[in-house]
Amino acid sequence: MGRMSLLVSPELCIGCRGCQTACKEWNQLEGEKTENRGTTENPPDLSPNTFNKIRYVELPSEKNPMRLLFVSQRCMHCGDAGCMKICPAPGALFRTDEGAVAYDKDKCIGCRLCVTSCPFNVPRYDAQNKISKCHLCADRISQGLTPSCAKTCPTGALRYGDRDELLGLAKKAGYSKVYGEKDLEGLGAVYAFTDSPKIYGMSDSPAIPEAVVFWNNVLKPLSYLGLAGVAAAAVLHYVAFGPKKIEEVKKDE
Amino acid sequence: MSNNMIKKVSGLEILVHWTMAISFFILVISGFGFMFHMEGVGSAFGGFEQMKTIHNWVGVVFAAALFLTIFHYLPVALKFTSDDAAWLSKAGGYLSKKAQLPPQDEINAGQKLLYIAVLVLGTAISVTGVIIWLRPDMANLNSAVLLSFLIHNISFVLFLIVIPVHIYMATLANPGTLRIMISGTVPVEWARKRHAKWVQKMGY
Repeated sequence: MGRMSLLVSPELCIGCRGCQTACKEWNQLEGEKTENRGTTENPPDLSPNTFNKIRYVELPSEKNPMRLLFVSQRCMHCGDAGCMKICPAPGALFRTDEGAVAYDKDKCIGCRLCVTSCPFNVPRYDAQNKISKCHLCADRISQGLTPSCAKTCPTGALRYGDRDELLGLAKKAGYSKVYGEKDLEGLGAVYAFTDSPKIYGMSDSPAIPEAVVFWNNVLKPLSYLGLAGVAAAAVLHYVAFGPKKIEEVKKDE
Repeated sequence: MSNNMIKKVSGLEILVHWTMAISFFILVISGFGFMFHMEGVGSAFGGFEQMKTIHNWVGVVFAAALFLTIFHYLPVALKFTSDDAAWLSKAGGYLSKKAQLPPQDEINAGQKLLYIAVLVLGTAISVTGVIIWLRPDMANLNSAVLLSFLIHNISFVLFLIVIPVHIYMATLANPGTLRIMISGTVPVEWARKRHAKWVQKMGY
């Protein structure tokens, strides 16, 4: 199967947040009591019970005093996922056949290192201290169904399908550069932005933290090589010099 | 103590040494288990979640033992003497077939260096381990956790070089050394060859 993904088109989004509701419904996530912060953007952030949300970006200008951007926020299902790289518990985070980054709460050990390693600040922890985030409706897509957010979207702002086809679609629609096409070996949620990613509240070049990359590429192999190197050096030393021989010291007892 | 034996370390030092050694091995094995997703290691510890709990608490034991060593060895390890300079300039005699070293005191430069390395790495790995373990769920602490993660793992790599060297030095390279950390005593003549100044100070 080819890699599947979401195509997010903020220009088509009307901010109805049906995707948020559909997500909660399918994944049986409780609602959250929030406060009026002077915006219809709600809830304010992702949480263990909020896997996706629409970020409202207000950009009033003289030309367009009502410019309002709606950006779908969720796990990006990175091709090179920082969370999976750092996770110390095998099977806690895993990639589905469709390319989603899903998880098994029973295998999560609650260390929260994935939080540290995520380039998009996505993973949250529930009351049982287990990872909680969007899994692209892994249970639906494995059956050939569409994730509930994309299924419910009335405008086509959220589309699910074959990643290459979606990229082709976006390019055909005139988006020369699709956000997430190449970053992190390709994101599993690509964005048809008309402006710079920063405007939409996204990093221009998302990356796994350097400390994690260094650990993965250098320190992990070194932990073996150092040990093997000392063992080899010890053998060489033993063959070349042998155990330490010290000449008798004159006794003066 | 028989007449031709000399006491090199106390019972407490032996206890602290093996507490550190055993906890070190538990920490290294579970550390490798996490790093390379070793399922066998995980099951040996009763699952990865339990291995995390054991890793964290054994780390506390290791840190506590390390703290006690400060009183045993830090003052002497920080004293750099002319004997140490001579020892270092000859690489402890380990790179020649016939060791020609000036008489040494209780602890030679190599042993001092080992202790300082263990203290520095042990402190670094313990402090950063606690930060990773007890990190509050706040995004603005990410950089502190990342730095801790980095230092924790660099210390791990360096420990895996320092401790095997220590083990080689205390066994194959210097036969008869291991008993210091078992019975606490060594034959006077054996000690005189290695720590002549100290043996003399002790009145033998």
